[in-house]
Amino acid sequence: MDKIARIDMGAAGGPKVTVGDLGEYAGLGGRAMTSLVVAAEVHPLAHPLGAENKLVISPGMLSGTTGSMTGRLSVGCKSPLTGTIKESNAGGQAAQVLARLGYAAVILEGKPEGDDLYKIVINKDGIQVIVDNSLKLMDNYPLVAKLRQEYGDKAAYMSIGSAGERKLLAASIACTDPELRPTRHCGRGGVGAVMGAKRVKAIILDDAGMKMRPPKDPDAYRDANRKFVEGLRKHPVTGEGLPAYGTNVLTNVLNEAGGYPTNNFKSGQFADSAKLSGETQAALEISRGGSATHGCHRGCVIQCSGIYNDKDGNYVTKQPEYETVWSHGGHCGISNLDTVAKLDYIDDNIGVDTIEMGVTIGVAMDAGLAEFGDDAAAIRLMEEVAKGTPLGRVLGSGAAITGKVFGVERVPVVKDQALPAYDPRAIQGIGVTYATTTQGADHTAGYAIATNILKVGGDVDPLKTEGQIELSRNLQIATAAIDSTGMCLFIAFAIMDQPETFQALLDMLGSFHGITMTGDDVVALGKKVLSAERDFNARAGFTKHHDRLPRFFYNEPIAPHNQTFLMKDEELDEVFNW
Amino acid sequence: MPRSIPDQSKFAPGLTLQLDADQLHAFFPLLQKGVAVPATVGCTLKCLLCDQFSIPADYVTDRITTIFMDNRPVDDLEHTIIQDGSRVTLSAAMPGLVGATMRRGGFYAALRQGISHVSGGAAAADQHGTVRIKLFNLLLAELGPLVLARGLILEPAELADLLKSIPDRPLDSSPGTSRVLLTVRFNE
Ligand code: SF4
Repeated sequence: MDKIARIDMGAAGGPKVTVGDLGEYAGLGGRAMTSLVVAAEVHPLAHPLGAENKLVISPGMLSGTTGSMTGRLSVGCKSPLTGTIKESNAGGQAAQVLARLGYAAVILEGKPEGDDLYKIVINKDGIQVIVDNSLKLMDNYPLVAKLRQEYGDKAAYMSIGSAGERKLLAASIACTDPELRPTRHCGRGGVGAVMGAKRVKAIILDDAGMKMRPPKDPDAYRDANRKFVEGLRKHPVTGEGLPAYGTNVLTNVLNEAGGYPTNNFKSGQFADSAKLSGETQAALEISRGGSATHGCHRGCVIQCSGIYNDKDGNYVTKQPEYETVWSHGGHCGISNLDTVAKLDYIDDNIGVDTIEMGVTIGVAMDAGLAEFGDDAAAIRLMEEVAKGTPLGRVLGSGAAITGKVFGVERVPVVKDQALPAYDPRAIQGIGVTYATTTQGADHTAGYAIATNILKVGGDVDPLKTEGQIELSRNLQIATAAIDSTGMCLFIAFAIMDQPETFQALLDMLGSFHGITMTGDDVVALGKKVLSAERDFNARAGFTKHHDRLPRFFYNEPIAPHNQTFLMKDEELDEVFNW
Repeated sequence: MPRSIPDQSKFAPGLTLQLDADQLHAFFPLLQKGVAVPATVGCTLKCLLCDQFSIPADYVTDRITTIFMDNRPVDDLEHTIIQDGSRVTLSAAMPGLVGATMRRGGFYAALRQGISHVSGGAAAADQHGTVRIKLFNLLLAELGPLVLARGLILEPAELADLLKSIPDRPLDSSPGTSRVLLTVRFNE
């Protein structure tokens, strides 16, 4: 990973590729790379779909190595959905392959004139940008099937479906999994619309002839990786709970806690939640010949994913994650896992964020476009998006736009991005992160729960109120750092509970790069990333007044706890005060 | 001293099923939704789990890391008093920040301030009553047999649904019209 490729899609005479060294971006990967490039190089007032925006694609610092869990890919830009800086990441094979090809980042710049659609082929011989108008308006599954005929089954594919080409604000970028299914999505923030605006339909990554990235100290790296894997395997969450049930194991628990937003955030509990639970889902998948344990990329030892088949044993989609089962399920009053799986497939195929789309359908139901709990209507609304009808374009532009168009007051967004699956009135501390993250409402922004080990900002008394602000700050710092390594965030539990597993992670980073890495270094990296993101957002016009939840969270108590969001504005303003 | 199982005849007529171990999963939907079990109430949650259900203390500490009572996450088992009709939910460790937040006595407990169970009160004189137990995730298979062996109080409709999901059930186990105390044992 010693080079950066810049592809000027708007160059005179056609797209122009320039490959250069890393310069000031040396040593960066993942979110650190995408955010620092966007903050330094994109005009903060640029139109997100214009030539001034850049789409930065970067594997993590340890991607492309023999290290486990290292296959997350970050994509960054100015978001068309939120107007803020955006980092959206996904699993799949792309990060590993791109890293082995030696690229720390591929940056799409400019914007072509005209209607031509392009594919980009990156292999050991270099980068080709090729016009291919035969791909126009193809969706991800048929698109990848077509590309595989030409580029084979050894490549990894990144692509946009029809939603990205239509520049819908919920559009995602798909990455193929080990079975070459386009199931892993950089979903949040409309990154697929930015790729569509640059008229890039697909990126084909082929690392034939390339080797694993070699560590500076191979023995130490191997040893650290072995300890890291041992730690993941022995922890009950990463070694048992996630492999058995996936993230949807959270449905039952959130519902029990009264924090499961139901019927567009009208209640914190869904009567039929057990029908949607990870436990039910896993049993169904296994009984139909699918699988409840599957990795989104090679080298994942947790394997939180799965394969969802229909009742006849035919593949429908990958195992929908908790957030998807919630957004298309309880949020819309729907309790049928087959309906959720079908909607997940449509999302992946046309290339949209499952959280944004599910939340949007729930807002549309609140607007009277359908009844809560009407499975057929939810599918019909998604088909409008797939067809690109005027209604579909409104829905595909997300919950905020849909709420405005149909005059809905209860629209669960922060900075115009839909809230994920946790009600901040029940779990107030999560609301702090939703309100203040640089990315718009985002559960993963405060996900890296190893802050007790990192000692970010010193020891916190978790039983004090002010602990919530402190914890949210520390979580956001830790997450920004982990997002830069390329590590899946689900390692967080094992590194929180097992200091030796956290040390193994530091040793992996250190032995790979030939440095000594400490917890302080991780904290410094996280702060650097967040500071750059905050600075970009400030220059883009965002102030502390945007770091707020919608008013209904303050005004409408939610059952069963009958609680509103109680955090004061002044407290929220302290989150980034370090 | 383990407490004795309450007088079960007080609750409903009894029905016993003897099933193969692989039929345990037929009970998972019911156990996730919650089942009423006879219990001695007025005692602490720790007493319910360790003394009445005979769950080893180290299992409770290490494995049942997430507990709710009446929708409130519990931190202190020794000062949480079980009442007649209490709803007790048991879960293994959960992923993600929310999982960490719900964890008993966890580092992130502050994030759920306002919904946490406030411990207090003292154990009262023992009384017979019922407790509604829910089991989630890994604990379904691990604690399910223990809960089922103590007996569940089922409404006729619940029993009918359950029996439908058990293939090859014993012939004499048809549901009646009144609540029943169902005891289930599994062949080794
Ligand atoms: S744990 Fe899940 S999300 Fe993370 S790398 Fe593995 S399969 Fe992908």
